[in-house]
Amino acid sequence: MSNKINYSNSSKIHESIFSRLKRRIFRVLRQIKKEFRLLRTDPLNLLIALVVPPLIIWLFGTMSTSASKVVPIKVSIVSYDSNSYINQDNYTIITTWDNYSKMYLEAVEKSKYIDLKEFYDASKDIYAMETARDKLRDGKIECIIVIPVEFSEFLTTGLPGIIECVPDTSNFVYIQDRLNAVEDSIDIFVEDNNLDPEYVSMEYQEFSIPSNYNFRFNYNMTMLFSFMVFGISTVLSILVVVQEKPIPRLLLTPAKRYEILTSKFLTYTIVLALQIFLILTSALLNGLYLRNGLLSAIDLYVALFMLGFVGLSMGIFISTVSKTKTEANQLFFAAFIVILLLSGIFVPLGSMPEYLQIIAYILPLSHGEPIIRGILSKGKSVVGFDFFSLLAVSVVCIFLSFVIIKRKRYEV
Amino acid sequence: MNSGDSSQLMVNVEHLTVSFAEKQVVCDVSFEVKAGEIIGLFGISGAGKTTIVRVLTCQIDKKNWEGNIRITNLDPAKEKEHAKILSNIGYVPQLEELNLYFELTPMANIETFASTYGLKSKSAKKIAQELFAILDIPKDTWKKPLKKMSGGEKKRVSVAIGLIHQPKVLFLDEPTTGVDAAKRYDVLSYLKKLNRQLGTTMFLITHDMEATLICDKSAILRNGKLLEFDTNDRLISKLPSNGLIVRLTIKDLNEEKLTIIRRFVPIKKILRVGNEIIEIFMENFEENLQKLIQYIIENDLEITSMSRDTASFRRFFQIRIQDEEEKEKKLEESEKIKEDKE
Repeated sequence: MSNKINYSNSSKIHESIFSRLKRRIFRVLRQIKKEFRLLRTDPLNLLIALVVPPLIIWLFGTMSTSASKVVPIKVSIVSYDSNSYINQDNYTIITTWDNYSKMYLEAVEKSKYIDLKEFYDASKDIYAMETARDKLRDGKIECIIVIPVEFSEFLTTGLPGIIECVPDTSNFVYIQDRLNAVEDSIDIFVEDNNLDPEYVSMEYQEFSIPSNYNFRFNYNMTMLFSFMVFGISTVLSILVVVQEKPIPRLLLTPAKRYEILTSKFLTYTIVLALQIFLILTSALLNGLYLRNGLLSAIDLYVALFMLGFVGLSMGIFISTVSKTKTEANQLFFAAFIVILLLSGIFVPLGSMPEYLQIIAYILPLSHGEPIIRGILSKGKSVVGFDFFSLLAVSVVCIFLSFVIIKRKRYEV
Repeated sequence: MNSGDSSQLMVNVEHLTVSFAEKQVVCDVSFEVKAGEIIGLFGISGAGKTTIVRVLTCQIDKKNWEGNIRITNLDPAKEKEHAKILSNIGYVPQLEELNLYFELTPMANIETFASTYGLKSKSAKKIAQELFAILDIPKDTWKKPLKKMSGGEKKRVSVAIGLIHQPKVLFLDEPTTGVDAAKRYDVLSYLKKLNRQLGTTMFLITHDMEATLICDKSAILRNGKLLEFDTNDRLISKLPSNGLIVRLTIKDLNEEKLTIIRRFVPIKKILRVGNEIIEIFMENFEENLQKLIQYIIENDLEITSMSRDTASFRRFFQIRIQDEEEKEKKLEESEKIKEDKE
């Protein structure tokens, strides 16, 4: 062979630290090239990594936009209101008060958020409330508005009028919508009848989403970002070590174990950076509200990158510790369920037993939602307790991965 | 072209003993290999062939082995010398999936492995082209994913990867396994060709006795012990009458007839190699052959065919292992008697 390889010659010469470092960097870069080549040969994997997340965001954006269209809620009104009383002296019915329940009914009919299905006069139908409750149970209506007996009397005499609202709370997602619709009818009622504004429920909304943005999209994205970025980056990396069969053979060359692992971390970090960029772009194009504009966008990019990096570190850790692909998949599934359960989404962290709270704070997803909500709604900086917690989890996972791969038995 | 300095000692193994926990898997093995030699490591499973190679390729921790070893004048006992040893040796595993990225092209595979030795793409490709030409890897497959190549082609790419950095010593684990019978000889002849052209010292770990055709020396291992290490001719010459055999076909051959033949005193060994075929080793072959035939005829045994030959390495291996088994059996029996007496 005419091309004589330099390696055997150079091995005789004393090598400086610089030249050794240069060769190691060269090897890592070539390993990265190999990783990208392998990624390219698996288009489905690339599709999951790069195309699916922005598509999910787009889907969510579309869903949220259509969800913000007015869909009137189905309501029954049960009125106990009485604007008359019986004179005990001559047993005649005397109408004294203004008929405010009739006026409220008119306001309900005006509201675009309410589709009035039935009106029950409980003074004539003693089973009115039970009938309405049955309809609520059957899903024929979504809310019962109850007008109490002194409604007209109180309003006529200048006392506060009370309206009771019984929404279907079996699905918490819709509760707020139902209460808002009833509130809209009260607004109309108060305005039409020139009642004192003190009757309207007042609330001061801190950190609310401006009306020209989609609050539902923003609210959902807070959770979706955490799960999606963490989940997809973990799934993408759980097999990178365990499924690469020629690793033992690579170790029969001057390539070092840490070089192989470093190249994997770097490759998937580059993929992650691109993935986050696409996710963020998709979210912004779908109308994501950022309180501090560009600054928040940068913070959000860093936060999402950090969340993805934790997922990546955990994925590679799982891949390093597992002996087979099945083991890696099962380990990921078990870990993901625990992380999900202790993320604070199902049960608030504060209401968990103390020992579970400690575990929850070690796990990454309990930091994902607060860090993203802080950036999106409150304009907070990414740097803080949650960020450093995520960083710490990544560092621990990376450290353990290197320790395990160093000790792992590879034989050809 | 590296022709290899034949006087140079490439591998020197002295009193190698390998143990895992309390189990000794290699026991006091010594041999030396000169530059450019092809060595065949033969033995049934568990003989210790792979373990020896694992020690030589720095895969087994020093705490598990004892002995003095030099490979390309370096010491695998010293961790600092591992990188240099690994850059001086090549390895071709038994299973291609352990050596190749099936999704990538042969050239991409070559680049990946070559880079670990510090070789840049351009030089790696140039060397690969030369190796691929020697190994007859069709040019139209160079840029196709390996998964589309045949088993034989994959094996040859695997060999090319093992040689990409021009190693001084190449280890091949079962190079003919998984290759169909017709192509086995091709693989062996490619290896011989590479050995001649590049002067690479080669170790073949194999069960395939056909591999001995290209081996300069063969090592026979059993239960971690090195039974033999020599050239094939010298090994065969250790057999009675320098390995000369008479192959006879006896009509309706059975145990009774075999017992009759065994009674012929000069016979040293009879191997039944077919239903009616036997191979006979005896003392003073030329002198006794005529007498043997006469003896058989006199005993009313019908010879339907007869030929004389020299024993193959396969026969030597078979006899050597059988002898060792018998020796061990006798030893066990005598130890048992001793124990019973005690």
